[in-house]
Amino acid sequence: MTDTMVRPEAAPAALDAADRAALVDSVRRLLADRCTEADVRRIMDSESGHDAALWRALVDLGVVGLTVPEEHGGAGLGPVELELVMEEAGAALLPAPLISTAMASVLFNGERLAKIADGSTIAAVAFVGAYDWTGRSDVRVAGDRLTGTARFVPDAAIANLIVVAGEDGVFVVERCDVTITPLPVFDRTRRMADVAFNGPATRIGDSARVAAARDIGIVALAGEQAGGVRRMLERTVAYATERHQFGRAIGSFQAIKHMAADLLLESESATSAARDAARQLTEGSQTKDAAIALAAFACADAFVRVAKDGIQMHGGIAFTWTNPAHLYLRRARSGAQLLGDGNQWRERYIQALEAQA
Amino acid sequence: MSSGITEDALRAEVEAWLADNWTGLPAHHESFGRDPRSEWLAKVRDGGWATPRWDAEWHGRGLSNDQAKIVERAFAAVGAPGAGQDRSNLWANTALAHATDSFKRTIVSQLLAGEVGMCLLYSEPGAGSDLAAVRTRADKVEGGWRVTGQKVWTSGAAVADYGMLIARTDWDVPKHRGISFFFLPMKQEGVEVRPLRQITNESHFNEVFITDAFVPEENLLGPLNGGWAVLQTALAYERSVMGDAARGPRSGAGGPKGDYSLLGLAQEAGRLDDPLVRQDVAQVIAWRVLNKLNTQRAKADMAQGTSSPIMSLGKLAMSRILHEEARVRTMLLGPESLLEGPDHPRAEDANFLSLNAYFTSIGGGTDQIQRNIIGERVLGLPKEPEVDRTIPFRDVRAG
Repeated sequence: MTDTMVRPEAAPAALDAADRAALVDSVRRLLADRCTEADVRRIMDSESGHDAALWRALVDLGVVGLTVPEEHGGAGLGPVELELVMEEAGAALLPAPLISTAMASVLFNGERLAKIADGSTIAAVAFVGAYDWTGRSDVRVAGDRLTGTARFVPDAAIANLIVVAGEDGVFVVERCDVTITPLPVFDRTRRMADVAFNGPATRIGDSARVAAARDIGIVALAGEQAGGVRRMLERTVAYATERHQFGRAIGSFQAIKHMAADLLLESESATSAARDAARQLTEGSQTKDAAIALAAFACADAFVRVAKDGIQMHGGIAFTWTNPAHLYLRRARSGAQLLGDGNQWRERYIQALEAQA
Repeated sequence: MSSGITEDALRAEVEAWLADNWTGLPAHHESFGRDPRSEWLAKVRDGGWATPRWDAEWHGRGLSNDQAKIVERAFAAVGAPGAGQDRSNLWANTALAHATDSFKRTIVSQLLAGEVGMCLLYSEPGAGSDLAAVRTRADKVEGGWRVTGQKVWTSGAAVADYGMLIARTDWDVPKHRGISFFFLPMKQEGVEVRPLRQITNESHFNEVFITDAFVPEENLLGPLNGGWAVLQTALAYERSVMGDAARGPRSGAGGPKGDYSLLGLAQEAGRLDDPLVRQDVAQVIAWRVLNKLNTQRAKADMAQGTSSPIMSLGKLAMSRILHEEARVRTMLLGPESLLEGPDHPRAEDANFLSLNAYFTSIGGGTDQIQRNIIGERVLGLPKEPEVDRTIPFRDVRAG
């Protein structure tokens, strides 16, 4: 079946400030309960890297179907709310396929959307051709068949459906029709796999929504990074306050204090960038491409820097496996490659500025 | 008038007043001394619009924050200056909070109308970032104090009527506890102003040499020897605007798209195809935009009555932007940056910026001091021990 209908741009319901705060609070409480550091480590050490019970709880709370329209069983909310929720997810290092799901929600129509919202489908998205950020995939479309391999596809090993998105259109392939090779990833909280295609694919749309899917992916990722930055900084400041050396809290030394002040600038800038990208994407503003690109590299860079300097400020304790600091650094470095690296996004940023000028 | 007025009635009143009184102002530029707009500002003050949150006794109307914003918006809508000085006027706020009643009666209304010129007499050659180390002395005499010392980095000193002065009034107590805060009359024998030539070859600042100048009793702000607390109020006002106020290139090239003027420069230099140049340019522009976004968030937070940690970050952000922009401009120009003068405006911009960036990274307390403040007051990190905090100032090592 070919379905090249572009889904109409339904204006997402905008929550008022109080409802937004309540949403964020409910997510924060769920994660405080179900996604503790011990949970993260348990899931990270598991075979699949996925916790079905936690996923179910996120489905029930409406987080998984957050951006799915209400008529398909979702919450019908937009990028602004998604970004805020992802800040909480990032702070807790939540290992769950929320970014993949948000991107798939943009690419899907009808029944497939409902299955995202009710949790019965987990979809992984492989960007190919001109949209392939890895530069390492060789997926080809021939009639209704796909051949070749998409590389570094997040969440592919736990997905029921693989979505292939490129300039030739958007296709879905059943899990049973592909060969999935899980990769030994550096960040065990974000699994990736290579996906080899040699069989039938169902075309579900043209390329019109591919960029939109990547945009929402960036907003979700940027939010996750902004949340990770903030939590890592909080942890570091707390440690610098309690850890004493030379008869003083280490945070009283200017060398530490000055690093912390610089990291606060990084943290607040990441939050501003992520929220502005979400707002501009929601409003469909003329400058949204620049805002998305800015968030993509600014949030990634901020997270890497804060995670790295945070370890330095902790000293030896953060060089151990048992201290969670390395989990943030792993997440930061993984996110900084997830949908294109900083150099690619700075180039896209300057292109967007040139287009505006 | 009470603050029980409805929003609609207030809006109608301020709009009617503006319709009756506002006829526009001639264009003017940055100036010190008596404000060229003072005739208009006096009208605004007398109408109760300059400081709508303050009591009628101090030219206000006792309005709430939200009500006062209606006034400010009405003024902004027609482009009329002068409203909302209860939030923006450093001098009037400091005087209202701390001046003696008798002095307040005359000075506050003059300040609101811009009828007196003001300058800051804080820094000294030996007391820059550590303002508590001032050595300018104020000794008690009949009816007031005699002041002797040297101040530096004083904008507008030559045309000022008063200088907000910190001076040492007790040498036998620890340094923070022996300082007093005065409004020093500038136009008197004993106050000599000498322009200071800056590294940019400009003269915005002055040195002020004070020799036996007189400050009357009523010009003391706050308690005697309690000047440190007064200074903190005044400094907080000053620092909160520094992130916004930093200047860009001297020529202002780039106009309203100034943010992106680096793109234009890279284009002119024929370097816009170089991927490394594009990365650098993108990063500088990104930092500028991020600072703007941060400021917007801070303002939104404060509009909702929540304090924002971000206001203290603008100065650090701007320092990084200015120094890095200067580096990128210089790189784009290559050997042209060796030149200056009117035939080489792009080189002048780059060179000016590379020197003037220190205006932000040193001025108003160095970036390092600002990092201490952020670390301690925003992030709550423990204070660094100060070895001279408890010993009499007379015994403090200096120089």
